[in-house]
Amino acid sequence: MKVYSIYILNKAGGLIYQNDVNPGLTKLTANDYLVLAGTLHGVHAIASKLSINIDGMESHQESTANANSALLVSGRSQDANNNKSGLQSIETDLFNLYVFQTLTGIKFIIITSPNPGELKKSYDSANEVFKQLYIVYSDYVMKDPFYSLDMPIKSFLFDTKVKEFVT
Amino acid sequence: MSSYYFSIIGTRDNPLYEVEFSSFKSSSSSSSTPPGISQFTDSVKEILPFVSNSSLDLIEDAQWSTSQFNLGRIDSFYGLLVYAFITQGNIKFILCFESSTTNNGNVTQKYDENSIKQFFIEINDLYVKCLLNPFYAVNDAITSPDFDLKVKLLAKKYL
Amino acid sequence: MSDDIILPSATSMSTLTISDVSRTGFGYNPSVGTASNSITSETSNILLNRKTISLTPTSANSIYDKNVSSKKITEISLSSLSFLFCEIVNWSHKNSKGIQDLETRLNGLGYQIGQRFLELTKLREGFKNSKREIRIIEVLQFIHGSFWKSIFGRAANDLEKSQDVSNEYMIIDNAPLVSRFISIPKDYGNLNCSAFMAGIIEGALDSASFQADVTAHSVPVDGYPSRTVFLIKFHESLMVRESLRFG
Repeated sequence: MKVYSIYILNKAGGLIYQNDVNPGLTKLTANDYLVLAGTLHGVHAIASKLSINIDGMESHQESTANANSALLVSGRSQDANNNKSGLQSIETDLFNLYVFQTLTGIKFIIITSPNPGELKKSYDSANEVFKQLYIVYSDYVMKDPFYSLDMPIKSFLFDTKVKEFVT
Repeated sequence: MSSYYFSIIGTRDNPLYEVEFSSFKSSSSSSSTPPGISQFTDSVKEILPFVSNSSLDLIEDAQWSTSQFNLGRIDSFYGLLVYAFITQGNIKFILCFESSTTNNGNVTQKYDENSIKQFFIEINDLYVKCLLNPFYAVNDAITSPDFDLKVKLLAKKYL
Repeated sequence: MSDDIILPSATSMSTLTISDVSRTGFGYNPSVGTASNSITSETSNILLNRKTISLTPTSANSIYDKNVSSKKITEISLSSLSFLFCEIVNWSHKNSKGIQDLETRLNGLGYQIGQRFLELTKLREGFKNSKREIRIIEVLQFIHGSFWKSIFGRAANDLEKSQDVSNEYMIIDNAPLVSRFISIPKDYGNLNCSAFMAGIIEGALDSASFQADVTAHSVPVDGYPSRTVFLIKFHESLMVRESLRFG
């Protein structure tokens, strides 16, 4: 599995980071990336509304509250991915797209090469990428005094580290 | 029993702490005064800070000629002996006492250089602990009652 | 009357005044001098019988009863340190007037740590196998070696002497601990948050009577994007002392 592109969305759906780490996708204009991010955010939200109606799962807010209290009690997160009810992946012949959501509502989105027939395997490797991305994000973005929350990420150390683990 | 004057001098030659006491060990049971109370006469009491401070020049000279912490006996003034110790951070510990150590005419009961050194080393330990207090800055006077108590306990233990 | 003696050492840097009297009989009052903490029959009794007394609210759990000189390495979480330092930079940044001012503030915060850590490191080395540093090159080796090690867990990467100027030395760290996760935005010029560490060095050197100005400069090389050079500029008077003593 090859990672083509990484997107990071803040909790309001704004694009705060976009990086075409490997060639393979056509370049878009800056505005188109913003529109794409907003669309994905919307689709994700709609999907989470639909999935409640389909299998009567606990609502998104409830699951966040549960995950938060579990984190406070045990000191460790059961599953870093808080994306329980929304859009999780899109698989096509040309690319695969995976969505990861943190407890605070930040979304990591990766677009990868398609892996037909190996659904489970590509799902696992996507999770591995998300894990690395989350670590690097917590280290090099959250611990940077010059970063303000929900604003575009400009840290060059973050850039370097992201490139290190995807290539 | 011999009496001691101990002072801590800061980097700007300013006093941070002083105490007067006498040896807790040599007191005979017949003595009416409780042990530890300083026995300096008024005229000596008056000159003790002067004697200590006048040794600062000698200490500064020794500071750059030896790499020891304990400078040993640095000065004497008409029977008053001055012992000094200097920390890496340029804080001076000075101990002054009368050399006439006769207790019941017993001359062998002399000041023990080794226990003075040990006393200084443990004082240094206390000083560093005091310095770790975020509300204490270098060159502030040390007013902590706990520090005072510990110094006196050390005095009782070693001198 | 012995009470009438005027003691010359009775200058006060502290807030205690001449009318402040300790209730317990312990505690030095610089406005009063030795009369403030002289041993009385009562306190003598306490000292002799090792009575446990509560002098201050923290007496029962006082630092004076703890062992600070143990060689055991105490570790703290790098994440907590980084988050704390992140807030320190943010807070200093908020109060500062510019980049230069921010660096000065960070330097000032490190300065006090340096003063304290110098004494603590020497204490931990123990008096048997340690000596007081009295020469420039020795004190620099101490800072570069054991001092660095006790703060950051490892020695600094390099110690160099400037070739052009006789009173300048450089300590080089390939990845300074505090700025490991920090990327300086382009519009902040040559700001380096390791100014905090420069302050630590400056505090330690000043405290040891090696007056110096220490500044931090980013000199990235391949593989070490946050490599920092700490430029130590000793005062001229110090060079005179050194040449007089050891010339």
